[in-house]
Amino acid sequence: MKKVLIVDDAEFMRLSLRTFLGKHGYEIIGEAADGKMALDLYEKERPDIVTMDLTMPVMDGIESIKEIMKIDKDAKILVVSAMGQETKVRDAILAGAKNFIVKPFTEESVLKVLSTF
Amino acid sequence: MSDKQNEPMLDMFLFETQELLNELEQDLLLGEKSDSLDLAKINEIFRIMHTIKGSASMMFYTHIASVAHSLEDLFYCLREENPKIVDYSRLTDLVLEVSDFIKLELEKIEQGLEPDADPEQIKNEMNQMLQKIKQDNMEMEEVNSMEQYKVVIFFDEACQMENMRAFTLIRELEDITNDMVYTPNELFDNEEALQIMRKEGFQITFLTNIGYSSIQQIFAENPFIRNFEFVEDLCEELVISSNHDDITSCSDESNCIKIEELKVEENKADKSKIEECNIEEHKAQAPNQKMISVNVNKLDVLMDLVGEIVMLEEMVMKSPDLEGLKLPNFNKTATQLQKLTGELREIVMSIRMLPLSFTFQKMHRIVRDMSKKLDKNVEIVLEGEETEVDKNIIEKISDPIMHLVRNAMDHGIETMEMRQRIGKPITGTIKLSAQNVGSDVLITIQDDGKGLNKEKILQKAKKNGLIVKPEGELTDKEIYNFIFQPGFSTKENISEFSGRGVGMDVVAKNIENIGGSVSVDSEEGKGMIVYLKLPLTLAIIEGMNLKVGASVFTIPTSIVKESFRPKSNDALMKEENHEMIMVRGEVYPILRLHHILNIKTEITDLHEGIMIMVEQNDQKICIFCDALLGQQQVVVKALPSYLRRMNQMKYLAGCTLLGDGTISLILDLANVKKK
Repeated sequence: MKKVLIVDDAEFMRLSLRTFLGKHGYEIIGEAADGKMALDLYEKERPDIVTMDLTMPVMDGIESIKEIMKIDKDAKILVVSAMGQETKVRDAILAGAKNFIVKPFTEESVLKVLSTF
Repeated sequence: MSDKQNEPMLDMFLFETQELLNELEQDLLLGEKSDSLDLAKINEIFRIMHTIKGSASMMFYTHIASVAHSLEDLFYCLREENPKIVDYSRLTDLVLEVSDFIKLELEKIEQGLEPDADPEQIKNEMNQMLQKIKQDNMEMEEVNSMEQYKVVIFFDEACQMENMRAFTLIRELEDITNDMVYTPNELFDNEEALQIMRKEGFQITFLTNIGYSSIQQIFAENPFIRNFEFVEDLCEELVISSNHDDITSCSDESNCIKIEELKVEENKADKSKIEECNIEEHKAQAPNQKMISVNVNKLDVLMDLVGEIVMLEEMVMKSPDLEGLKLPNFNKTATQLQKLTGELREIVMSIRMLPLSFTFQKMHRIVRDMSKKLDKNVEIVLEGEETEVDKNIIEKISDPIMHLVRNAMDHGIETMEMRQRIGKPITGTIKLSAQNVGSDVLITIQDDGKGLNKEKILQKAKKNGLIVKPEGELTDKEIYNFIFQPGFSTKENISEFSGRGVGMDVVAKNIENIGGSVSVDSEEGKGMIVYLKLPLTLAIIEGMNLKVGASVFTIPTSIVKESFRPKSNDALMKEENHEMIMVRGEVYPILRLHHILNIKTEITDLHEGIMIMVEQNDQKICIFCDALLGQQQVVVKALPSYLRRMNQMKYLAGCTLLGDGTISLILDLANVKKK
């Protein structure tokens, strides 16, 4: 079972991701509300997959991705972005994120992307 | 197979297949020079073999079909797999072998024989070649074979931020390729890019060494791709720079073929590509016009009819009934008619004219084959191949030209070491050129080989008793031209190519038979040049009519230098059995036609008749006849076969009808002189 770390500052988003990923055979090993927390959790838990929000307090998603990539260059990060964030998504991809989904997303598309990770 | 009903089809099959094979050889030899075959040529050869296979099996020549099929397979592999290691020289040999095989079979069919050659050996060779190509290139693929792919991608519209999807995909592909070009290439801050991607898709062209299936997997697994398609890259190969910063795009509409079209009909696009390439090539090649093929017999009949019309017109105009009448209206219409028939004749003649290019192109093959066998490096240069000559003449000069080229290759051009030693360029050159000179066509075959050996020729000529003048009076040119005498070959050993008993005399005879002439010039050590002078057409000549006794004869006006009535003070000489006349200080032999042709006439005194000085093959003689009747265009007709069988008829080249309806015989002066 693949281990997932969910990173989002919105409780609602974390909940919805947790629920439906759990339903489809992913093990949620942790949740982070900002980039810094995500980094710490990544180091400790070494999840297989990270879902990453971009706009977060303390340390934003892009910074967090960069740091995670420093620890593990093979990290598999899925960016969860809001509409109209092209520039940020691009920076995230350049920083090393593997792919991205756009809110609001369908469960199907998220599962499809994750299956390629 | 050869029952009557099939005959028109059989003719068509033979004709078409031969044409195709000729096309094939040309394509191939041009390709061999560059040591590669471009896609257009591969497609072309593939198409040719495909057509031959199809029509041969229609005609139940299964062995021809199977050979064509094997070659088609081979080219299918070349076309589809685009292998990198191909022995083009061997490939060319193989294709030519196939071409020869089929040609030989066609010849058998043409002669009504059973085409029965065994195709197995040649098929085996092709199979081996195919295996070898496959093997060679498989190994290569494992090492490092970069393939170019072009993919058109449509993203799922629901996925949003297609530009970012494209960007992510590009990032992903960067793991497997260093060379990539994509359209639209401005992914950000570009509203248009989104529109283009939605409408036309996102196009990526890239080079990679991972196989097709792995690439396909990448796209198939991407959850945001709704549809993707590998496209054969039909544009000019994109210049992909290995440097990223310099990425160019193929957004130029005119350069890229619409994808939609491709999906519907890939074949069509394929064709258009071939056509595109053809257009390009045609510019460079010999003029290749749109043609229809017409049965030559029909053209012959047409020519005959036009000839008759021209003659009848003459007969009407000169009808004795009209003598002494004043007919202004008649004369006016008659002149118009004359003008039109003249035009008609010219057009019909031009229909029969073909460019020499085909005959010339064949020489590429000969030079190539011989270069390999003789281990000489020879290049053939063609000039003026667009010059047009009557079809009948073309048929008759093909062999002589081939013989002369072979001769130049075999005896003229030195071996590579020899050339190097004497400071000549290692590659010998044979220049074949044609040009119009008045109503004649002049063909020259020039080589830069060792030239003719004057001493050897002179000795041989003495031995054969060919020298009639004192040796000191012989010009170099006269000496060189002895090589056209029968039994003249200074080369002792006979090689595979020339000197097979068919000497230069046969060349000379063939050319003379069609009213042409041959001469040669040379400079020892620097090469030789052979001149062939040919009439444009055989069918209609400008003729001079002359009378001997009660008979009328015609000679071609082109060879007449002058005519005169010998005066009593003209110096006449008699030496042994030869009569000679001195004209302006030069002595010419006299030929009495009545004597040679055994015709009774009252005019035997040279002062009463007329002398016509003619020149042929650089020789001038004076012909003596009773009277000159005038000059007119005459249509040359073959002698009836029962006349041709008679021995005396060798003096006659044919016959023609005169304006008043009488028959005139056309003299073959080359033969008359020999007597």
